[in-house]
Amino acid sequence: MSAKLIKAILLVEDEPGDARLIREMLNEQGSHSTELVHVDCMSAAERHLAECGVDIILLDLGLPDAQGLGAIRRAHAAAPRIPLVVFTGLDDESLAEQALQEGAQDYLIKGQIERRPLLRALRYAAERKRLERLKDEFVSTVSHELRTPLTSITGSLGLLMGNAAGNLPTPMARLLTIAHTNSQRLVRLVNDILDIEKMEAGRVVFNFSRVEVRTLVAQAIEANRGFAEGYGVRIRLEEALAGADVRADPDRLLQVVTNLLSNAIKFSPPDGEVVVAIKKGADVVRVTVRDHGQGIPVDFRPLIFQKFAQADAGDARQKGGTGLGLSIVKQIVDRLSGEVGFADAPGGGTIFHVQLPCWDHVASLAIDPETKPDATRLLLCEDDLDTALTLRAQLRQVGFVTDFAYSVSEALARAEATQYHAILVDIHLPDGDGVSLIVRLRELPQYHDTPIIVVSADTNPERDDLRSSKLNVLDWLNKPVNFDRLVHLLAKSVVRNANRRPRILHVDDDNLVARALGEIADVVTVNSIEAAQRALKAGDFDLAVLDVELAKAASPDLLPELRDSKGNAIPVVVFSAHSANLADDPREQAALAKSHSSIDNLVATVRDRLASRLASVSREMI
Amino acid sequence: MTDIRILLVDDEPDIREIVDVSLGLDREFTTRACASGADALVTAAEWSPSLILLDVMMPLMDGPTTLANLRKNPQTAHIPIVFLTARTQSSEIEHFISLGAQGVLSKPFNPMTLATSVRSYLPPPVTHHAP
Repeated sequence: MSAKLIKAILLVEDEPGDARLIREMLNEQGSHSTELVHVDCMSAAERHLAECGVDIILLDLGLPDAQGLGAIRRAHAAAPRIPLVVFTGLDDESLAEQALQEGAQDYLIKGQIERRPLLRALRYAAERKRLERLKDEFVSTVSHELRTPLTSITGSLGLLMGNAAGNLPTPMARLLTIAHTNSQRLVRLVNDILDIEKMEAGRVVFNFSRVEVRTLVAQAIEANRGFAEGYGVRIRLEEALAGADVRADPDRLLQVVTNLLSNAIKFSPPDGEVVVAIKKGADVVRVTVRDHGQGIPVDFRPLIFQKFAQADAGDARQKGGTGLGLSIVKQIVDRLSGEVGFADAPGGGTIFHVQLPCWDHVASLAIDPETKPDATRLLLCEDDLDTALTLRAQLRQVGFVTDFAYSVSEALARAEATQYHAILVDIHLPDGDGVSLIVRLRELPQYHDTPIIVVSADTNPERDDLRSSKLNVLDWLNKPVNFDRLVHLLAKSVVRNANRRPRILHVDDDNLVARALGEIADVVTVNSIEAAQRALKAGDFDLAVLDVELAKAASPDLLPELRDSKGNAIPVVVFSAHSANLADDPREQAALAKSHSSIDNLVATVRDRLASRLASVSREMI
Repeated sequence: MTDIRILLVDDEPDIREIVDVSLGLDREFTTRACASGADALVTAAEWSPSLILLDVMMPLMDGPTTLANLRKNPQTAHIPIVFLTARTQSSEIEHFISLGAQGVLSKPFNPMTLATSVRSYLPPPVTHHAP
């Protein structure tokens, strides 16, 4: 392959000297058609990658904002299809090896870089990446293409086996059984290869919901009973804790349990028993599958979750396996934020376990425990727990409090219960898409203007529709989220939103006052305590202005209710026809004598109070 | 005897034959097969099938385009459509459903239970006569 492959290079290097050296080498004769963009940190690299295409990334592994494998993962996540060459230190051969495993195409040792090897490394990396991509596309296409003839083969054999064409003589039936069984195995193999390829390319969408483990395990056992009988193996559910609910994609979890069961069955001795148990820990549910087979050879243990890993290839093939089952299990369990492992069983055999976060635990994580009043509270609508937790931790460092909603329905319920300052929406949610969530949020009066930012795993055709539509989405960020950009957007928009027109609840029957207040705020005027209570339920207010007579009568009933939807007390200004010094309640922060001349005074007081309240919302942002 | 008409659209002759035998296991089914989307538009309008089983990847007019064209014609707009396809990633299934398909059956299918699966997508008899 020629150097034509590489037209644009992104160099991510914080040492100016090293960067200059690389630039000089690349600018020498022969590579003049190559454009080099240099940035000095990972955030800047992510920004550049989000906007411009490059053909290759040269990455230093000791950046101020990303180091080592973390830097590789971020670069890979920001541009999964772009080849990556990393710089490592002289004494860090093991990091270099790990870098290759994490998806870098090559590494160069700092201080020893020369022009020719550098150019060669770039060329080879680009070529290697191109081949990887071709392989992925090839696997995907071939898998689909294989299904068409397989449909005809398994279909014909299935009909013959089902005696749809009349009864078969025994010797013929036996041969057809062999053909039928093997055609089905071929289908499984194609499915498994496609599954693995999709998962590695990050293209599998998980639909999380509350899953009752016992029901799901029972379903898996039922589905495998016939298969077990074929091997003369019994399956027993030993300990089946009811009410052990986890947060998972039920189809994928079924696939995990099925794969573990079929493995246990295949490696059981004839007349053996596979024992399944469900146990509950503090925050996790653990499913174990025990066989009475020969156990896993020690040499093979480190390889067991790798693709096409089989302790004894001949043995496994004889048992009808594809060598992909456990690799798929591992990939799925990782995505479910769980853990999979195995151990020798006492008395022989192996116990596999899968551990998943239990539903209650995940649900309890949804509310940010931070209770600081006046904190800027965000709602993150995201179904991937790990992603949500990471983002919360990052946002916390810059002073935001983040609640989670794992689904559209949860998001709507939370948004109605709490007034959020901004909402982040993942476009893919288990019970609907993010776009329809935004539509419904915008229908709620209290979220008419709230900043909403979309976070999405892929560049989506809906993106342009969204921006141009009336949904008023602030921005669309690709995953992994460029955190600097997110914070910038939030800071700008939440502050701006804090400068929206304030809302005042005015409990009085004086039109003059209402009109005066209307100059500086949206005013809802009511003339009874009941009406005030109704208004409080319908929406948030920044401040309440009470007539003194009503305030007196209302004190026990109304004052405790003068809170916004987050439960924070609303400042109260009491306005009186008489000079008043009435309040025992410290909440009545300003008492003013009511007269036409004092209306200006009232407006000034109200403006003051509003300013300090709204500032508390935006203080952390500036 | 009730006549349930199933129209199959698939460009692979072998698959047409297997589907025909599979659906024949249900005695109430009458099956016709078309080799292309264009044929399907004509046959669907003339024959008024109870349900159409539609392949996705076909030359000239693919499954989704055929579906869109069937929906445009008032004579065929109401006919339930089920895709029969090797493309059954969940995102693809969602996409097919969003186009207005009643369901998606995957290839390879179990020929002994295909008819039962197809039956589950038929509208209940009451809505059969609804305007």
